[in-house]
Amino acid sequence: MKRHPLRATAAALTGLVLAACGTSSSGGAPASSSTAAARGGSLFVLTTSSSVTLDPAKSQNLAITTLGLIYRRLTTWDIAPGRPPTVVPDLATDTGTASDGGRTWTYHLKDGLQYADGTPITAADVRYGVERSFAAELSGGLSYHKTLLAGGTAYKGPYTGQDLPAIETPDARTIVFHLATAYGDWPWIVSMPAFAPVPRAKDTSPTSYATHPAASGPYQVDSYHQGSALVLTRNPHWDARTDPVRTGGPDKITFQLGQDRSVVAQRLIADSGDDRSAFGASFVPPAQLAQVSRDAGAKQRLVTSDPGALAYLAINTRRPALADVRVRQAIEYGVDKHAYQVASGGELAGGLATTLITPGIPGRVAYDLYPEEPSGDVAKARQLLAAAGTPALSLSLLVDSESNSAAQAQAIQQALQRVGITVTIRQLDDEAWTAAATGAAGDYDLTLSSWQPDFPSANGNLQPLFATSEIGGGGYNLARYSRPEVDALIARATGETDHAAAQALWAQADRRILQDAPVVPLIYTRNSFLHGSKVADFFVAGFPAYPDYLRVSLRR
Amino acid sequence: MSGTARRAATARRAARARTAARRVASAALTLLVVSALTYAVFYLLPADPAQLSCGKPCTPERLQQAREFMALDRSVPRQYLDFLSGLVSGRSFGTGPAAVRCPAPCLGYSFRLDRPVVDLMADRLPVTVSIALGAAVLWLLLGVGAGVAAAVRPRTLLDRGVMTLAVAGVSTPTYLLGLLGILLFGFTVHVLPVSGYVPLTEDPAAWAQHLVLPWCVLAAVFAAVYARLTRGQLLEVLQEDHIRAARARGLRERRVVGIHGLRNVLLPVVSVLGPDLGGLLGGAVITEHVFSLPGLGSLLLDAVGSVDLPLVVGITLLSAFLIIVANAVVDLCYGLLDPRVSG
Repeated sequence: MKRHPLRATAAALTGLVLAACGTSSSGGAPASSSTAAARGGSLFVLTTSSSVTLDPAKSQNLAITTLGLIYRRLTTWDIAPGRPPTVVPDLATDTGTASDGGRTWTYHLKDGLQYADGTPITAADVRYGVERSFAAELSGGLSYHKTLLAGGTAYKGPYTGQDLPAIETPDARTIVFHLATAYGDWPWIVSMPAFAPVPRAKDTSPTSYATHPAASGPYQVDSYHQGSALVLTRNPHWDARTDPVRTGGPDKITFQLGQDRSVVAQRLIADSGDDRSAFGASFVPPAQLAQVSRDAGAKQRLVTSDPGALAYLAINTRRPALADVRVRQAIEYGVDKHAYQVASGGELAGGLATTLITPGIPGRVAYDLYPEEPSGDVAKARQLLAAAGTPALSLSLLVDSESNSAAQAQAIQQALQRVGITVTIRQLDDEAWTAAATGAAGDYDLTLSSWQPDFPSANGNLQPLFATSEIGGGGYNLARYSRPEVDALIARATGETDHAAAQALWAQADRRILQDAPVVPLIYTRNSFLHGSKVADFFVAGFPAYPDYLRVSLRR
Repeated sequence: MSGTARRAATARRAARARTAARRVASAALTLLVVSALTYAVFYLLPADPAQLSCGKPCTPERLQQAREFMALDRSVPRQYLDFLSGLVSGRSFGTGPAAVRCPAPCLGYSFRLDRPVVDLMADRLPVTVSIALGAAVLWLLLGVGAGVAAAVRPRTLLDRGVMTLAVAGVSTPTYLLGLLGILLFGFTVHVLPVSGYVPLTEDPAAWAQHLVLPWCVLAAVFAAVYARLTRGQLLEVLQEDHIRAARARGLRERRVVGIHGLRNVLLPVVSVLGPDLGGLLGGAVITEHVFSLPGLGSLLLDAVGSVDLPLVVGITLLSAFLIIVANAVVDLCYGLLDPRVSG
């Protein structure tokens, strides 16, 4: 799961005058898809990142972005606008067979899978890829499997001479995972980068493996210069017939690294030369978004996602002044979500939020526990505060200055002032905010944050933000919310292998948590991206609210 | 040579050696203080490098594992001593066949980028040197030239025009100037590339083509300072007695200004140029960022943003070293420009 940047990249969306840009394309529809798309050509990806973590063990890449072009995993994501994402088989023949009540998962590899050098991909390679992700030398990647696999907590990787007994490979095409507890979302977990195959013989030095990694996807690394460019060329042994999601359109893909966000937007608006075959990997900055709205050509090439990540106000339930649920409910009614939306940039910045499970996540049930006018219900809030015996309150609002604009914080401050709550804004830079909000002390009353899961399951929406285990210690339970009943519900839903049953439990948990009002859902954020005129099959869904690199191609 | 002359020469050599030794010791002490201060500043920050390298989600066990591997589980003074000993003997992180080795002189190891800091800086230095030297040549020509032109015609339209431009140059943020340059020459006139770098050894013409805009942007900012400095100094010098004497001897005005005037002006210009160039060689942060040039400046920006402490310390030390070297070169130039200084 990731704390979805309103705090980092999406900070660009804050402060937009988006109402003026309401004519931009998409909203999630495949506005840029084209039947004229063809194989071939050179695609350019313009990114503000100056480096790419090419080692699958260290990567936190989404399944549909950069590393998805180079590495296949046991499963992957099938994303399309307008419908929930689904997990589909990638190297494996299916998304996994559960046994032992969801504690054991078995996969079989497809026939004829090969690396770029023509050697076959085996189950042992997948096992080795997972095992090496446990090594301290290769920490930093998505690590859900490290606690889920039986014995994973103590395992230190294959370089110590030890294997992980929780993974078995009875033959070259079969791999079996034994989990510490039942986990219904395991098919999503094996879509993560660490589940890409790594041949042991090629891993002579763990820190340099990524300079010439064994490619299993449609592309292989041709060259990589940190700070300048990553160039991918075709993997001659990738077989499209075995791959359900990658189209392998362009012959060559060049990532131009370390680009300035404003310059990228200007290049894509100008749409000349190679930039016609390029797209921006970062959100379009506010100034350029306004510029795009005045440029008919560029407006055609602007793609805005469906509403995705949840922006929310966390209420620290451990503070004495906020211990009474009526006070927290008063804040639910007092907050002016519409003012927050305007401060964030209007409709294009996101739609008003009422649930914790975000749109686009399977199993989401729409509801509104605190129905009100978008600008809040001042009378109801005052009534609740009076009932709680605290008609006047003074609270601190912790704000990450890199993720949230002053206008967003002031929208909260002014709304709560109406109901008799005086809010003092404390702005911190990103690192300081992270330390203060996720550390043990919890010295704040309110804080603004946003969240998008690392994989499209309600589990990713709820467990990291509301499980007792996620309080402090770097966890993102910013409301410091702890209720055994909810923890038990989360545990039940996590262990449920029947998707429909699990989704019903998550929907139940969503509503139950909001009854305690630990957070105020504000908006479901949207992201906007620009591409050149020769780029086709470019779309951005609600989850994840990023372009699907695996299907992008170039027009003839 | 007489015995007295030999003794005098020996004494001068010994004096020079003592001066050189003092300078080297002073430079080493400065670098030590800079490294200690950089360490101290970063340890005051709330960010935990191990937490940032721990992965998601990060359990307490994995966090401890990351701390031990990165040698962050030791006390801060011990970590600093490890850093100093790594300069001499190199360092290893982890044990066994997968241990990460950082050979001497080890200025640290970037776990984020999986490379020794020295290697990362060596990759980026040629880009920054290309930017800094080219820009310096340009701003010296423009700045000194404009300053002289303004000084020899004080209070004329030319003088006022030059000084107005200088004020504008000093006041304009580099980032804005860079973006304006890109908009004008990249997107409107379409004559120059707007980003990227081509190594000199690969294609000299493309190298220059990609650097023209960054050179011009930096030169516009720095030339303004040099124009004001040159004008002010030259106006003063041109009032001095030896200039009046030179004019009285019938020397042509061009010679008076070019030889007698400018020589005196060059001393302050060189003394400013040293630190300017040294600082720029440590990374032209904003210019490199705007033009997507993979130099030390963009590496530093990236390192600060990702709390890559070893990289930040390494680049800071290199910048300090370059400024010290630049100042030493300035001292040498003083001797050449004004024999009284070396005498």
